[in-house]
Amino acid sequence: MPETAATEVAVALDGVTKTYDMGGPVHALKNLSLDVPRGSYTAVMGPSGSGKSTLLNLVGCLDTPTEGGLTVDGEDVVAMSDRERTRLRGGEIGFVFQTFNLMPKLTAAENVALPMVFQNVSRSERRERATDLLEQVGLGERTGHRPNELSGGQRQRVAIARALANDPTLLLADEPTGNLDSETGREIMALFERLYQRGNTILVVTHERPIAEHAERVVHLLDGELERIEPIDERRTPETDATLAANASGAETADSDGDGAATAEEA
Amino acid sequence: MEAVQSLRMAWSAIRAHKLRSALTTLGVVIGIAAVITFVTLGASLQAAVIGDVGGDQPPVVSVWAGPEGAVGSGQGGPGFGAQPVLTEYDIDQLRRLEGIESVDPYGRVATTALEYGGDRVASDGIVAVTPAYLADEPLGDGRVFADGTREAVLNPLAARQFETNATVGSDLTVTLANGSTRTVTVVGILNESTSTGPFEGFSTAPRVYVPVDPFYTDTVTGPTTGEQGRVFRTVSVTATGHGALPDVQDRVRTYLEGDSDAAQLVPSGYVFAVQTNEELVAQIQSLLDQLTGFVTGIALLSLLVGSIGIANIMLVSVTERTREIGIMKAVGAQRRDVLQLFLVEASIIGAIGAILGTLLGVAGGWAATSLLDFPLEFPLEWFGIAVLVGMLVGVLAGLYPAWNASRLDPIESLRYE
Repeated sequence: MPETAATEVAVALDGVTKTYDMGGPVHALKNLSLDVPRGSYTAVMGPSGSGKSTLLNLVGCLDTPTEGGLTVDGEDVVAMSDRERTRLRGGEIGFVFQTFNLMPKLTAAENVALPMVFQNVSRSERRERATDLLEQVGLGERTGHRPNELSGGQRQRVAIARALANDPTLLLADEPTGNLDSETGREIMALFERLYQRGNTILVVTHERPIAEHAERVVHLLDGELERIEPIDERRTPETDATLAANASGAETADSDGDGAATAEEA
Repeated sequence: MEAVQSLRMAWSAIRAHKLRSALTTLGVVIGIAAVITFVTLGASLQAAVIGDVGGDQPPVVSVWAGPEGAVGSGQGGPGFGAQPVLTEYDIDQLRRLEGIESVDPYGRVATTALEYGGDRVASDGIVAVTPAYLADEPLGDGRVFADGTREAVLNPLAARQFETNATVGSDLTVTLANGSTRTVTVVGILNESTSTGPFEGFSTAPRVYVPVDPFYTDTVTGPTTGEQGRVFRTVSVTATGHGALPDVQDRVRTYLEGDSDAAQLVPSGYVFAVQTNEELVAQIQSLLDQLTGFVTGIALLSLLVGSIGIANIMLVSVTERTREIGIMKAVGAQRRDVLQLFLVEASIIGAIGAILGTLLGVAGGWAATSLLDFPLEFPLEWFGIAVLVGMLVGVLAGLYPAWNASRLDPIESLRYE
């Protein structure tokens, strides 16, 4: 377990309600209260329309609650101006998306450096840090490649390196393995595990149980409300993943696709 | 975001769509080039028409009776529509006014041809003046003719218009409009072929000068004297100095509008023009300015079209890069960062267009003036204006699209396909 004081709160939602006006009011989140401790690893699960994405957008300072309080890194997001929220987002939050969302015309290193551009980090420092981060995610040899020259897993690793660029308080991931095959997905989850061990606060939105089980706890949402918080006693780790994958591929040699983790889960 | 970084990013966005950026830039290039070409042409035309008289002017007042409305507007040039109203009596009276050095009638004798050494060239008229009129003109050779003789002074262009050059001592045959011929002896060649006064216009042309007596034969019965005498359309009055010029102008006008022969002869609808060379030059200049302004206005229209092109492309670009804008915002780009990026992009297109357009316009101006045989005159201040306008066009055209981009909602943008 990471050394960081678990009592310190990275994100706190206090009775958050988010209502969208789609002809009539649509309640995406209803009276949700949730604390995300610093250095914790949280997964958010729920069916479509349960409010997962809305929660992620709110925590990521891309959106503001209709009602209720929200603090990120101890700062009251609700009272902030758009500009201050953007500053907080750029400095304290790293996003990892299902579709990677890399800038297609920029190289891996330039993509990783992009968040630092908006924080006025000097060019030499940006370059140095981008190279360093890409090395950390195992892409030290790929810094000059554009996204279309990289595989899905490599792209997601670039995205993770980018998310870490400004050394954020909070790492938000939205279905980070959704567009990857399970083998690559495991690599990405292994990377998250390393970041968690290093003390990063991680919030992963997923609809895949095996992915969620990498976290310390799973927040279940249903119809915009908190259904339950489930602590995971036996977290999945890269080691257990490897064992399961080996068993699965042993059982299903024909399945060259390597959809091991999901198959193992169903078994 | 640092300026250098935004330049770098904008430039890579421009390079990402090379053909599109090039075509957009071309719109600005054509606009700026058209403006530069036309202003260059205008300035060169001005130099061709009045360039030589731009400097020090003699203290001369040009006098004629012209159509109301044309006088003072520069329309038709000095002496335009002048009626034969200025009698020898009037000229005598004018000579007596205070502050006047000389009063020189300037007449034209209608001709059809000039002949020298067996070579006959067409000529629609020769100039009849007093010896005093030519007294201040520098002579290249010979002397000024004397009154009452069949002598002529040629300018170099007139001397060279024959197969063999006419020189001092040559005999020219002048065919008058009525068909009769006169033989004149060349006694002097002027140093230059430039205009000797406003009534000739301000251009360089071949001219033959002869004495009023005996060549100028337009006559009228003088209302004051009751005698038949020469009558002139145009008279040039030289003041004793520039200081005396305004007073001389007033006195001449007062005399003419008083009990002069001219006042009695002048048809209704005609007024007296009593204008200094400076005034005449200014009038022509303002006419040319209007002309230049007009064609430049048309050129500016094409610049407007170019700017609409920029705006259009930037709007397309914003739509196309909605997702990228979403990404940038998600990773911390402020509104002003996005605004800055797109504005810089539009300005770069505008600035490159302006610079290339200026180069092309200079080439165009050079080509046009050499084709029309004008002296090449670059209005340099316009080059600066053109580059500024190009950048301004870029900024203005980019403003709305950039503002649009900066206002995009990051959540929506990230979802955009």
